[in-house]
Amino acid sequence: MKAITANRLLDGEVVFWREGRWVERFGEAQLFADDAAAEEAVAVGKGQPTVVVEPYAIDVTEAGAGVAPVSYRERLRALGPTNEPTHGKQAEGGAAIEALLAATGAARSTGRVDLIRRK
Amino acid sequence: MYRYDAIDREIVADRAAEFRGQVERRLGGDLTEDQFKPLRLMNGLYLQLHAYMLRIAIPYGSVNAAQMRRFADIARQYDKGYGHFTTRQNLQFHWIKLADTPDILDRLAEVDLHAIQTSGNCIRNVTSDPFAGATAEEVDDPRVWSEVIRQWSTLHPEFSYLPRKFKFAVTASAKDRTAAKVHDIGLALRRSRDGTLGFEVMVGGGQGRTPYLASTIREHLPVGHLLSYIQAILRVYNRHGRRDNIYKARIKILVASLGAEEFARQVEEEWAKIDAPTNDLPDTELARIRAAFTPLAFETLAPHAGAYELAKASDPALARFARNNVKAHKVAGYGIVEVSLKTIGATPGDITAEQMDVVADLAERYGLDDIRVTHEQNLVLPHVKLDDIPAVHAQLAATGLASANINLASDIIACPGLDYCALANARAIPIAQHIAERFSDADHAEKVGELKIKISGCINACGHHHVGHIGILGVDKKGEEFYQLSLGGSGAEDASLAQILGPALPANRVAEAVDQLVEAYLRERQGEERFLDTFRRLGMAPFKEAVYAPAL
Repeated sequence: MKAITANRLLDGEVVFWREGRWVERFGEAQLFADDAAAEEAVAVGKGQPTVVVEPYAIDVTEAGAGVAPVSYRERLRALGPTNEPTHGKQAEGGAAIEALLAATGAARSTGRVDLIRRK
Repeated sequence: MYRYDAIDREIVADRAAEFRGQVERRLGGDLTEDQFKPLRLMNGLYLQLHAYMLRIAIPYGSVNAAQMRRFADIARQYDKGYGHFTTRQNLQFHWIKLADTPDILDRLAEVDLHAIQTSGNCIRNVTSDPFAGATAEEVDDPRVWSEVIRQWSTLHPEFSYLPRKFKFAVTASAKDRTAAKVHDIGLALRRSRDGTLGFEVMVGGGQGRTPYLASTIREHLPVGHLLSYIQAILRVYNRHGRRDNIYKARIKILVASLGAEEFARQVEEEWAKIDAPTNDLPDTELARIRAAFTPLAFETLAPHAGAYELAKASDPALARFARNNVKAHKVAGYGIVEVSLKTIGATPGDITAEQMDVVADLAERYGLDDIRVTHEQNLVLPHVKLDDIPAVHAQLAATGLASANINLASDIIACPGLDYCALANARAIPIAQHIAERFSDADHAEKVGELKIKISGCINACGHHHVGHIGILGVDKKGEEFYQLSLGGSGAEDASLAQILGPALPANRVAEAVDQLVEAYLRERQGEERFLDTFRRLGMAPFKEAVYAPAL
């Protein structure tokens, strides 16, 4: 399963693709069972260079309490820094945040190469 | 401190205005991200995991109260109320919006600050001794020469597109508080037997993927030839540095592959071609810059500070602070006060806007309007009357900045790591916090003594793990955060590179392993030995056994 993420150009906020627009909460991200459909959405996102910076697809999975990114890095992006629990998206709380916090295991981020290139 | 003249102000204001235009063109779609990225990086603006990060240059780590207050204002208005001091003596804000950045740069320019050359393949912000102008150890004020290099290297047309970034450190004391030997160029001011001032020129040091200690290519370069000589070094590097491979592009790789002797020969050859009189700094310019660092108006005080001694005798917390955070000043009756940004449980190097304001007030009221940033992510009030230290300590304590742990085990360098940085493989901050908690008993921490723990969240080594007495490197092991420990590094005058202890440990084993290393040291140490000394005497074996044997 995939989701599409990017950083918003204007403020760097982590955003997720949902039916043609970008939302801030991972819990509202559109999930793609089909890789080809996800890549199509990435292509559409890349056509919005004044809205987001370098969108990419991430692997997500059913993680017990709900859906969460497979990679630890992507869960951290979806939550905020672990040293400041009141900063970032995690501050809002709620079931979707709890699901992200409860997810365990980690994998190399599919977006990592892009992140490094982009610095 | 150095005050901007009209030319400095014009450069910074022009640059801020230029960046405003570039941001407008990016937001309007006239610049692509690929076109814009190098422009924003030249202005210290990175895109990280959660937001943009703005890195502000603090030349040789020196700020005044007005500048510190401006940081506080920016932290409140444009960030989440705090900032982060780095191992390059700079300040980073981690929650910046692109759209706000032009306004932030304008507000910085108003107090003679900017973010120019805090990123990109250029000569970066020059770092220096945070005790400059305050310690009796120095043979000259290293800020003078740091400022010379700052002015020379700012927007230098020939050296704005080097093969890779380039970092200078300048020190003038036998005790090195700049980690000079792990810089691209480390300059150590020395006075020769005949009394002339010269630089020991050390080239090709660095950390990252391939750590090297710098090699000395000139024992005593007369100070007047500084600019022509470093120009020769930069020219050799610019011509032969490996532009084809980012991992081999730093000058350290060039120096190592040629050998220091051959590199030095090429520099001398290049230097001979440079017309020194037109490239070295004119005496009038040196005098102008030096005038900015004339000795401050110190009072004539008795060396014995009665009120200070009395206060220490009756207040154990102040006495502890004095033991660990107050250092000898060159003027009788004054002290150098180190302000720890390593409160147990806090994020190393982080400071809130309120704390910035308190430090600014203290500097203004008690510290001759002078504040320094150390490469170990702490602050310094370099000129405080000893009799004022009880008041300074009390006000620091009231804002949570009185931790008496300078150079102790909880005074940990940590990069932002995977909590913020797009390059990181693993988190560094929580590891630092877990270790620091183990040393929350201040008596125990003092018993252990000087112990420099340095943590990086990736191989780029922003957390200086290669020169930690205990260095910790976060690695990604099959997707999990693991930590590689190494021992025996030093970034001081006795510089050395740390050696790997053994297989990487999972996150929940790191603080325990540090405990085991410290226990081994306490068992084995002789006399006044520091952890580093005991390691150097005994080697790896007892420490390796302490960490890995229990698992066998």
